[in-house]
Amino acid sequence: MRIEISQLTKTYKGGVHALDGLDLDVPTGMYGLLGSNGAGKTTLMRIMAGLLRPTSGSVRIGGHDITTTDGRLAVLRALGYLPQDVGVYPDLTARRFLDYIALLKGLDSRSARRRRIGELLEVVALTEQADRKLKGFSGGMLRRVGIAQALLADPRLLIVDEPTTGLDPEERIRFRTLLSQLAGDRTVLLSTHIVDDVAQTCRSLAVLAKGRLLFRGGVGELVAFADRRVWTVSTAGPAPAQGRIVAALPEGAGMRYRMVSLTRPAANAEPAEPTLEDGYLALMESAQATVPTP
Amino acid sequence: MTATLRYEFLMQIRRPSLWIVYGLVFAVLVATLPYLTLDLGFRDADLVKAAMTTAAKLIMTLLPIVYGCMVADRLVRDRRLGVDAVLDSTPAGRTGRLIGKYVGVCAATAVPLALVYFGRAVVYTVTEGKPAALGWSAVVFLTSMLPGLIYLGALALIGPLLVPPMLFRVLFVIYWFWGNLIPATMMPTLSRTIFSATGDYASYGFFLQERLALYEGEPEAALDFLRPAFSPAVAWLWMGVMVALAVALLSAARLHAIRSES
Ligand SMILES: Nc1ncnc2c1ncn2[C@@H]1O[C@H](COP(=O)(O)OP(=O)(O)O)[C@@H](O)[C@H]1O
Ligand SMILES: [Mg+2]
Repeated sequence: MRIEISQLTKTYKGGVHALDGLDLDVPTGMYGLLGSNGAGKTTLMRIMAGLLRPTSGSVRIGGHDITTTDGRLAVLRALGYLPQDVGVYPDLTARRFLDYIALLKGLDSRSARRRRIGELLEVVALTEQADRKLKGFSGGMLRRVGIAQALLADPRLLIVDEPTTGLDPEERIRFRTLLSQLAGDRTVLLSTHIVDDVAQTCRSLAVLAKGRLLFRGGVGELVAFADRRVWTVSTAGPAPAQGRIVAALPEGAGMRYRMVSLTRPAANAEPAEPTLEDGYLALMESAQATVPTP
Repeated sequence: MTATLRYEFLMQIRRPSLWIVYGLVFAVLVATLPYLTLDLGFRDADLVKAAMTTAAKLIMTLLPIVYGCMVADRLVRDRRLGVDAVLDSTPAGRTGRLIGKYVGVCAATAVPLALVYFGRAVVYTVTEGKPAALGWSAVVFLTSMLPGLIYLGALALIGPLLVPPMLFRVLFVIYWFWGNLIPATMMPTLSRTIFSATGDYASYGFFLQERLALYEGEPEAALDFLRPAFSPAVAWLWMGVMVALAVALLSAARLHAIRSES
């Protein structure tokens, strides 16, 4: 399902401009939404999930306008949503909880429901814990219940908000691999502040900062942002003053820095191969000069 | 709506604290009120009817406190737990879900109370050998008890949207004694008015008409204009008032939700 966002603005009651004239087109497939904390990712996703009304602007998902009652309903029928802080009823078992949500999503046939829940428990590797109460589940397990819940009605649009925060490295990798596999002909919109999650799963992405779009395009294009801007510097003295340090490794008596900088940060600096993270940092670096703080 | 009704019912009825708190208050009820003898001094010709009405009156003194307190956290806990985002992003209608929650939660929370009532009716039937008690208990439950529970359930579900559930429970207990139990002459109160939830208007209006003398000759109290004389017509009016209050409270909750969506 294609998502077309135009001139989307959300101002919270306190006067916070969480989204500020956002224009964005999201195609089918896996799509990353990258931004630091407070960038407006959750706000955007809550608007798309019909939980929040935009202050102005329009969002069309699969041709449906989400601000109309009918449009919203049509979108919700095709939507799977994993909220940032997914909540469950602690007194239900995983299977029971999924059964309840499946009913709310209109899976009325008991046998179809049972089959679908069985499949999904298998997908998220919770079959063995399925009949335990959710109050005993770890954060990672709850996240998996959350994704199973989102997939119940076989959604054409899957929105996942920071799904890997708080997971241990193995779980994180498993989880994002699962998301990529789910993409196929679906639209999967993944929000995160972890660059690596996007690097490992998405071909295209958008970068959000302070409610505005800083970048949209392919992963390669964002990496290219850091072309000729990534350097390694070995020094025994103080760190170079200009540019942004990405990594610091002790080396002999001194340090070896990896840096993003528009100009050569030190005389002995060597150019280095950029990564997506470098591209993101370079983007942030150059944006700071152009995006005024509200 | 039916899915929410079913699951809210299940979650509430399996809640251990529901049974424990009801158990404790029931023990207080048995210890302090004539639940075992059902003797409030009524000498009605129809003793069975009077006994079943008495049982209802006794139960509607203390157990609604438990009922209200146990309903109180059910609506707001969706937000506290963070399930609301999951529920709200399903295509299920929110009004239907609110009604399902209301009916499911209130029905489950009323189960122990109903058991205490109908249990007494069964015991009465067996010990007195009067099967009519079963029929009367059903009628009395529907007319004297259920309308009050319908209103109180809505109040307790919605109230915590405005104040935290723990504070609401304290206020609810105060409200219960002030607005339903204390004598009307003590201070301006909703006690014994058409807005009181204890069910006296139905009990006296329908079943204990010979006992109207009990309330006669009382000194005047504030808000007496809200205390029409008992009669079947006023009993029906009271039932209507209870249901109307519930509908008003639930509608207010929907409006509140729509407003806070933005
Ligand atoms: N309910 C709210 N009321 C007021 N301000 C909010 C609310 N939710 C988020 N914000 C503010 O909006 C901005 C964007 O928040 P959010 O969308 O959560 O960003 P992200 O998910 O990218 O971290 C932040 O400045 C945040 O403080
Ligand atoms: Mg967020």
